[in-house]
Amino acid sequence: MVKFLKPNKAVILLQGRYAGRKAVILRTFDDGTRDRAYGHCLVAGIKKYPSKVIKKDSAKKTAKKSRVKAFVKLVNYQHLMPTRYTLDVDLKDVVTIDSLQSKDKKVTALKETKKRFEERFKTGKNRYDDYSIILMVG
Amino acid sequence: MVAAKKTKKTHESINNRLALVMKSGKYTLGYKTVLKSLRNSKGKLIIIANNCPPLRKSEIEYYAMLAKVGVHHYNGNNVDLGTACGKYFRVCCLSIIDPGDSDIIKTMPSEQ
Repeated sequence: MVKFLKPNKAVILLQGRYAGRKAVILRTFDDGTRDRAYGHCLVAGIKKYPSKVIKKDSAKKTAKKSRVKAFVKLVNYQHLMPTRYTLDVDLKDVVTIDSLQSKDKKVTALKETKKRFEERFKTGKNRYDDYSIILMVG
Repeated sequence: MVAAKKTKKTHESINNRLALVMKSGKYTLGYKTVLKSLRNSKGKLIIIANNCPPLRKSEIEYYAMLAKVGVHHYNGNNVDLGTACGKYFRVCCLSIIDPGDSDIIKTMPSEQ
């Protein structure tokens, strides 16, 4: 009886091109909109996870392997598997509904999302209870 | 021996309560609508048959854990659960949205 599909919830996409990828709910539209008459939400997820880094890798290689590629999508609730984890990345000001309208808006939103995900991935190693590492692993 | 007798009595009482919900309350039958009712936080109690596939059972239990809704594992398979609902088809899982006159929500989770 508690609503659990709320912003900052970590979810897994079940259908579509990004099936199996982890994402974060940014904004929910429980009753749908005129265009989408079903419950859906705006998610930002990981298109390409950072690769495994070994001790032998040079700094340049580590930097290249720790890159994250992000995606932003409007997904039906039926195509999500919610988890009990949350990820408190502040993406509300970066990704909005109208950033999906045009290509260049989407590109800027994705660049900023990618930056925030990457810094979360890199600095998350210090906190043992930070779930951002779990979410960054494929 | 005593335990076996007790489960028979409580099993009948679940059936009685379920019949009352069917008559006076609101419910949905079936996996898709159960998940829908959990997502929009309308479901108050979920009942799962005992021959529900384990992956589906775990998924419903996980959703119910997120929504803080009780799950009752019905002592019978989907055929029995369908009969208990008064339907002529199999029911694997059902969600009670409004219990009506029944006290199933108050008594069932405590018995678990």
